[in-house]
Amino acid sequence: MKKNLPPAPPQPPRWADKLLAWFCAPHLLEELQGDLHEEFYFQAERLGYRRARWLYVREVLGFMRPFVVKRQPNAYTSISYSSTSFLPLSMIKNYFTIAWRNLWRNKGYTTINVAGLSVAFCICVFLFLTAYLQLTFDAFHQDKDRIFQTYFFANNPDRITRTGNMPLPLAPALKSEYEEVEAATRVLTSRRSLITYQGKHFDKDVVFTDPDFLKIFSFPLIQGNRQNALNNNSSILISQSVAQAIFGTEDPIGKLLQITTEGKQKGYLVSGILADAPYNSSIRFDALVRIENSPHYLSNQTNWTANSHQVFVKLIPQVNQATFEKRLKLFTQKYLAEYLQSLQKKGAKPDSRGDIFTVRLQQLSQVHFDTAISNGPPIAIIYALLGMAFFILLIACINFINLSIARSFTRAKEVGVRKYLGALKSQLFVQIWSESALICFMGFAIGGILAHLLLPEFNATFDTRLQLAHLHQPGFLAWLLGIFILITFIAGGYPAWLMARFNAVAVLKGKISLKKPGFLRNSLLVSQFVMSCLLTCCTIIALQQVKHLRTKPLGFEKEQVISIPVGTLADGRQVLQRMRNKLANDPTILAVTGTSVNLGRGKDHVSSRSTMGLTYKGKEISSDMLLIDYDYLKTLQIPLLAGRDFNRSYPADSLDRVIITQSMVEMLGEKQPVGTFIKDDADTTGGKMQVIGVVPDFHLYSAAEEKRPIMMHFSQSEPINYLFVRVSPQSLKKAMNKLQEIWREVAPGSEFTGSFLDENIDAWYQSEEKLAQICSLASVIAIILSCSGLFAVALLLMEQRTKEIGIRKVLGASVTDILFILSRDFVKMVLIALTIAIPLAWFGMHQWLNNYTYRIEISAWVFVGVGSAAIILALLTVSFQSIKAALMNPVKSLKTE
Amino acid sequence: MKRTYLGEFEEIVLLTVVLLEGKAYGVAITHQIIEQTGRAVRLNQVHAALHRLEEKGMVISRMGEATAERGGRRKRLFTITAYGEQTLLDIQAIRSQLISLLPRALKPSISL
Repeated sequence: MKKNLPPAPPQPPRWADKLLAWFCAPHLLEELQGDLHEEFYFQAERLGYRRARWLYVREVLGFMRPFVVKRQPNAYTSISYSSTSFLPLSMIKNYFTIAWRNLWRNKGYTTINVAGLSVAFCICVFLFLTAYLQLTFDAFHQDKDRIFQTYFFANNPDRITRTGNMPLPLAPALKSEYEEVEAATRVLTSRRSLITYQGKHFDKDVVFTDPDFLKIFSFPLIQGNRQNALNNNSSILISQSVAQAIFGTEDPIGKLLQITTEGKQKGYLVSGILADAPYNSSIRFDALVRIENSPHYLSNQTNWTANSHQVFVKLIPQVNQATFEKRLKLFTQKYLAEYLQSLQKKGAKPDSRGDIFTVRLQQLSQVHFDTAISNGPPIAIIYALLGMAFFILLIACINFINLSIARSFTRAKEVGVRKYLGALKSQLFVQIWSESALICFMGFAIGGILAHLLLPEFNATFDTRLQLAHLHQPGFLAWLLGIFILITFIAGGYPAWLMARFNAVAVLKGKISLKKPGFLRNSLLVSQFVMSCLLTCCTIIALQQVKHLRTKPLGFEKEQVISIPVGTLADGRQVLQRMRNKLANDPTILAVTGTSVNLGRGKDHVSSRSTMGLTYKGKEISSDMLLIDYDYLKTLQIPLLAGRDFNRSYPADSLDRVIITQSMVEMLGEKQPVGTFIKDDADTTGGKMQVIGVVPDFHLYSAAEEKRPIMMHFSQSEPINYLFVRVSPQSLKKAMNKLQEIWREVAPGSEFTGSFLDENIDAWYQSEEKLAQICSLASVIAIILSCSGLFAVALLLMEQRTKEIGIRKVLGASVTDILFILSRDFVKMVLIALTIAIPLAWFGMHQWLNNYTYRIEISAWVFVGVGSAAIILALLTVSFQSIKAALMNPVKSLKTE
Repeated sequence: MKRTYLGEFEEIVLLTVVLLEGKAYGVAITHQIIEQTGRAVRLNQVHAALHRLEEKGMVISRMGEATAERGGRRKRLFTITAYGEQTLLDIQAIRSQLISLLPRALKPSISL
């Protein structure tokens, strides 16, 4: 139903209009269209609507002439037109020129931004590389998805234990029983072995393994035949660097090497050269020989209870790990029933997968991070590092955004004038954004150079082997480019967009509001402070924990003791005897002893551990075994709680006498431990050991671990690997030099690598220490970046508030009043940040500390300290500007308008 | 004598611009020409001529006021320059001189 509306006035055809608008030069459009429309109405009245339309179209088409289509924009820039908003390439150069001039004019702003970004970028590169190196551990093996390390899983009544140490018969059994297993190898790295070639000696890590090693791992074989390189029991594969060290330019193939392991010497023929294992390889070796040559192989090759080495298997493709693990249940029941039964006896229950004790597999890519079966860092640390890198970059970006926004108000006039002169939004956006891109580029470039220059320093400080070359992969470069573009778009784009939107008239009238983006800026400042406070709190707590572990009494006196690794060349027992003779009458030497296990980590970087499990009166007991010599307790000043020390006047001491620690006494459940005999119920033929003394618990390994029971025994046959010498406190350095001299006489030919025990102990905490150091570095940088951002924002805010301050002063405000007003907002923001950061930090660190048996309580003072430090820092940062602003002459600041 | 490049149509348009005395713009000029000469002139031809005239410096233009029938769009108003006037005078002089030199009077033929 149509209503009787007055007929709509005739209109020229729309499409013809559009066509004209499309081809017509913008500056001609108005008059031409005007003339055309006027003519149309004229003709419509005269000739009717239809004919007028036809004429109109004819006219429009007639206007397709060069003078209409040709554009002459320069003369008419005041007319806004959108059809040419695409970027003329020639303008980009101009934008960058303008950007460069702008940046040069605002040197302070530029410096803060560029410095912030470059430092952030540099530290990010380091953190990222560290994480990359860790995350790509073992990733270079070709079939890494099919390679697994086996481990024992035991669901004890109190806790789950996992261990990667396997018995010798396991790998061959796995390979023969399961057709899914394509290859299986044992990897046993024993104590350092001595390689002798033509009278020259080298201490190297000789790894005992199976021929399948070469089938599983893809370490390149430089010389030799992969198929049969280890087929012979007397073959040896050496690494490239070892080949170079021993043979130089000689061809090593077929040469005879003598290798001494635990006192036994054997000759091997070099059958090949392997490329050195890269830094990020879990398996490291200097030489490979067959595992049949390893000490104790013969006695243990059918023993399922002596766990000594790692086992790696390679499954055939398309075998599912979970399915295979299920199949391994039967295997465990067949060969390891003893373990299973003893656990059941203790009351162990099956876990969610129905296992009490079983063999499981760990993906090769995860082996490095599995703290139970390797000594790598927990993967959480790597993510923490990446998170930190992200935070720092974020803080730098926030600075960047804040500064740009803050500065946008001082630049509002420029934008207004540009707009008035006809600049388009898109042009303004590109121009302002190009400034940000330039800053970003400079930041990245300088950051890259910094990273390049500081890398050796970083590697040395944190004992890593980062290489910038890792970054030269196309994938990484793409990432880098992506991050760069993202930063320029987010950090540079938002303020640019904001400014481009300014209303030109309002800006020129001075009406642009300061309040509006204040919320965003403030929340960014707050989040910045949240992040830096969080990092600081966590770092301080982590440092406290590390310090707690270091200063915690270990149960022995670590000061003034020099620890000397005997090395592989000499016989420890002989050296100890000679040493004792030499030093017998020296007043500065208080005690000398020998042992099998070093305390802490010495210069030889070797750590070994031997444990013993036995059933005592129906109880499962597991204890560390420690071989000691006379005067061990005296040297380490471990007091006796009961009984006596080993003594030369009791000849029977060297047989089956032990000194045990307190927790061992508790395990045994004996009221009167001295004189009792410890004997394994299960082993009827084995000897029994009589307890002659009890000492308090002490930390044989890291203080982060729980104290475990220790049995100390005395033996004439087992090798002594370390000498401990207690010296008088006055002459530590002198004593060290003296020992070094004597060493040449007592152990001719072998190197002196003595070190102070307290330093060795410190080495236990290296990984925590390194992490804490990296964290401190990161948090210091985060704080500096946050403060520099605050500083710059304060600087720009003061600039904008100069007049307000002038008016306040004129109206009678004192300098302190003004300082208070100016600083109040900033302190408020820091306080908000603290209320967010502190609970987060507390929660996070509480979780982390739960990993440690011996941990500190988080003290409220940390938060109070960090909080007040943050407030003071913020105040100091702001006050420099505030005071300057407050002291300014109001006449000057008010006169400018 | 310096040659002036002015086409016949341009000359008509230029004369019309003078004729319209400050009210000369595309549509007005077109209508005036149609009225005075009876030629079937089209807008775009006039505009092209005006453009050339402006390039030659015979006319200058400015944007005038907006009117409702043009949908609020402004007109471009043309006025003749002194150079344009001089050119017109030159053309006239040449023509009258040539005509005066003719050996006989021009008589339009009468077609039957």
